[in-house]
Amino acid sequence: MITKKNVIILVLFLLAIGSYYIQPGEAQDPATPPQSAQPETAAAPSTPGADTVMVPPVSVAPPAPAPAPPPAVTLSIDKTTVDNGGAVTVKGQGVAGKPVFLEVWAEKQVRSSFFDSKPDKDGKIPYKLYLTHALPASYKIYAPKDKKEIFDAYKAKGSGWAYSEALKEMGADVAYMAPSKIAIDAYQSTIMASIIGSRGEKLPDLDDKETRRRAMQLTKARFRSIGVLISPSIEQNADGSFTAKVNIPQGAAPGKYFIVAYADKALRSQPAVVENNIGFPMMYLSNAGTSLNIIWPFLLTLAIGIFGVLMGAGGGFLLNPILISLWPLPHTVVAGTVMPTVAFSQASGIYNYSKIKFINWKLGITMGIAMLAGGFIGPKLTELITLDQFKFVFGWILLILAALMFWQTTPGYMAKNKKEQAILTEFKKRAEAAAKAK
Amino acid sequence: MIVEFWGQEFKINIIFGCIGAFLLAIVASMFGFGGGPFMVPLMTVGLGLPMYLVVGSSLTAIFFNTVMGTMRHYQFGNFDMTFFLIMFPAAILGGYIAPQIAKRISPLMVKRVAVAGLVLLGLNLLGLY
Repeated sequence: MITKKNVIILVLFLLAIGSYYIQPGEAQDPATPPQSAQPETAAAPSTPGADTVMVPPVSVAPPAPAPAPPPAVTLSIDKTTVDNGGAVTVKGQGVAGKPVFLEVWAEKQVRSSFFDSKPDKDGKIPYKLYLTHALPASYKIYAPKDKKEIFDAYKAKGSGWAYSEALKEMGADVAYMAPSKIAIDAYQSTIMASIIGSRGEKLPDLDDKETRRRAMQLTKARFRSIGVLISPSIEQNADGSFTAKVNIPQGAAPGKYFIVAYADKALRSQPAVVENNIGFPMMYLSNAGTSLNIIWPFLLTLAIGIFGVLMGAGGGFLLNPILISLWPLPHTVVAGTVMPTVAFSQASGIYNYSKIKFINWKLGITMGIAMLAGGFIGPKLTELITLDQFKFVFGWILLILAALMFWQTTPGYMAKNKKEQAILTEFKKRAEAAAKAK
Repeated sequence: MIVEFWGQEFKINIIFGCIGAFLLAIVASMFGFGGGPFMVPLMTVGLGLPMYLVVGSSLTAIFFNTVMGTMRHYQFGNFDMTFFLIMFPAAILGGYIAPQIAKRISPLMVKRVAVAGLVLLGLNLLGLY
């Protein structure tokens, strides 16, 4: 006979083993930016004098005309601060005959993960997980207006558009600099590793070319839509001068934003810096990389919390999908933050039922241990799926739940339930009386 | 396994129950919900237990999943403190307000609204409208 005490000891033991499993490398550590995302600024304007200095001073010829300065790219901005996003007008001088691109990125960094499960050239599926903590929290490349056709063609492809191809076709890949050198961890995922809840074996560091390529996939995984990542809106004149409106969206990360103009890979301007300020009630969610007005999620959670209790389902079913639909939050962060939120209402429910001895501990804990094992595996799978897959599966879960709820409103179920509810009330009364008598 | 509850005895197939609970826990922790509405039918329909036994015991079972899921999500860096501090007081407050409202409205009505809402939200997530 298993006594209650033994079972509890066993559970504590399992929890202790579970907590030992936390590997230091996998522990949450968003505070360390492994590498600054800021590219070295081009030293282009400083070189032209070098050759002339070396010319011997005895030369009889009149001083050689100074070599024409290499075409320089410059830019100026009309303001250096914005409040909770805003438009900044960028004016500058590019190179005649060469399209100009603006790269705009935030100093704040966020996490992004990408699971490569597409068959490669040989038809082998790599099953590799790429993870970075250093992606800019906001990132956009502005292209000249005449690239709009290419932009529209990629936009029409929907979520399957390829970021690297779109950049290349527009010629905008020269401006993809800030995220191209971020530190990326790669893991070889296997089914076995997934079962024991591990990310898999860590692969050796990526080389520069591979880093750039994977960084593009991570950028797309984080920002998803082409409209967020690319804007064909620069007005460029024949002499190379250009104007553009750089829009820092509402809800973007606070802090510094860098703007750099590119004519080609080596020809770029000094970065201009814009500071984005946010004030209460806007708050920045550092792990999600989004700022939001905290009043709305508060009211939403309150409403769903109430409705959840009334309909007899925890808030998680409604909170998760609504949060990811309303705000640009990563599904991993939403799932990982909603879970502890519902934990406390569950705990208070357990406490209330246990007071009136309405829990069968043997049943609850036995099934609980099975769930403990499941709960160990699940969270690791969240980062292996994309937001679209998350939405798709969640959509079906909600439809199944709706069917279950509908079944509970059918007359047959209601009649049966009425009888059971009567027993429940009767038992509760007795239990409360017993508790009082003590 | 024999489950005893308030003087009554129920014989259940615990292996079946545990496999169901295990699979449910994977999905629930992966998508970040508790899983109560699925756990209750598993225990009542799947194991044939009466409702009054299931309400408290199912909550106990899913709590294990929530705690483990929370720990693992934290470990994989999926937890955002600011976000939690915004939602947590609202959830607690909701827990206090809900029972006051529950006395005044019919549960059948709530369920019907919930079905409609869930279908709409589900179809929205599937991108059907």
